[in-house]
Amino acid sequence: MDSSLVLQNLLTPPVLFFFLGVVAVLVGSDLEIPAPLPKLFSLYLLLAIGFKGGLELQHSGISGPVVPTIAAAIAMSLAVPLYSFVVLRVKLDSFNAAAVAATYGSISAVTFITAESFLDTQNIHHDGFMVAALALMESPAIIIGLLLVKLAAGQKRPDEGPMRWGAVLHEAFLNGSVYLLVGSLVIGFLTAANSPHSLEKMLPFTDKLFYGALSFFLLDMGIVAAQRLRDLRRAGTFLIGFSVLMPLFNAMLGIAIARALGLSPGDALLFMVLCASASYIAVPAAMRMTVPEANPSYYISTALGLTFPFNIIVGIPLYMALVNRFIPTAG
Amino acid sequence: MKRVDLIVSERELDAVLKAIDQAGSPGYTVMKHVTGKGPHGSVSEAMDFSGLGANAHVVVFCEPPVVDKLREGLAPLLNYYGGVAYVSDAQPL
Repeated sequence: MDSSLVLQNLLTPPVLFFFLGVVAVLVGSDLEIPAPLPKLFSLYLLLAIGFKGGLELQHSGISGPVVPTIAAAIAMSLAVPLYSFVVLRVKLDSFNAAAVAATYGSISAVTFITAESFLDTQNIHHDGFMVAALALMESPAIIIGLLLVKLAAGQKRPDEGPMRWGAVLHEAFLNGSVYLLVGSLVIGFLTAANSPHSLEKMLPFTDKLFYGALSFFLLDMGIVAAQRLRDLRRAGTFLIGFSVLMPLFNAMLGIAIARALGLSPGDALLFMVLCASASYIAVPAAMRMTVPEANPSYYISTALGLTFPFNIIVGIPLYMALVNRFIPTAG
Repeated sequence: MKRVDLIVSERELDAVLKAIDQAGSPGYTVMKHVTGKGPHGSVSEAMDFSGLGANAHVVVFCEPPVVDKLREGLAPLLNYYGGVAYVSDAQPL
């Protein structure tokens, strides 16, 4: 791997702020960010990335690799939980295996946004339709996770209590993050098509503030990820190994699919990141509702305490090096 | 007069309050952002951005017949999602 890529990634403000948050916990600093602020910044990031994706989607149009890429992204979000579940069942019960598998089938929007920022610093073009892939990869894994529980643990679960399919589908497709992301994508698309003069008024909010907001949010993520490190010990070596090796395996599948689809290097990196990342926003909340038997410290700690830092520190430059090697540049 | 104390995840709060209403309770008090430690480790507001917030403390003052209905309505929720609920005697001032 090109070491300059690692350094260029490590020395960007978002990643440095992430480290600052991690170090704050490790050295016992009393740095604390009030709970509503990270939520506000996470909503802002989803709104901004959705809006920008909608604009770019309108400009690029829905043709060429758009539909096959989105279809491949959805297929991956269905397939990853299935084979992850088979691996996880070696050590975990059905409930925990299904919850962790769903977590790895879904995606991390912040990892995706960090990868986009990395591409921008490298001046590598990427397309807006990848945001549509991001939005559509959030939900299928939740459904697969629940189906796995139903099939694998059905008999052990006589009282499903208040869990109903309607509520599950509602949670999967209308949870706040998916709703805001898809809604902002549609608004961006419609604005670019019908009201281009409004774009200039939105850009100071969705564009100029974006990098700073990402850095601030990653400062909080550093704190939360470091707090989760203690729980990782409870998760055990099997899950720790899974949370690094499974993203790498998924990224390898991702680059093979990206190459087959003829994606550009920027889009190929984003596709790999989507395949390799794990959800800690939409899926944990859905799993809490649908599979309360599963231990949240397994699926949150692995996704947030290890896979997320791994992807933003090592994964993104590693995947970029692979893209540079295996994905041909246009022209 | 009885006092019922419930500690539940904020995420299930709506369902819990609905069950309390359906039991015929005259009212309730809700304290959100409750942190502490549970069977799965510490409960904090750190994951609030994901919709997995802290806990809520719900206090209900009611007559004994309502307690029976509360037990009936809340037991499935507590069995499914977890949480604690205790009943004690209460003396009006």
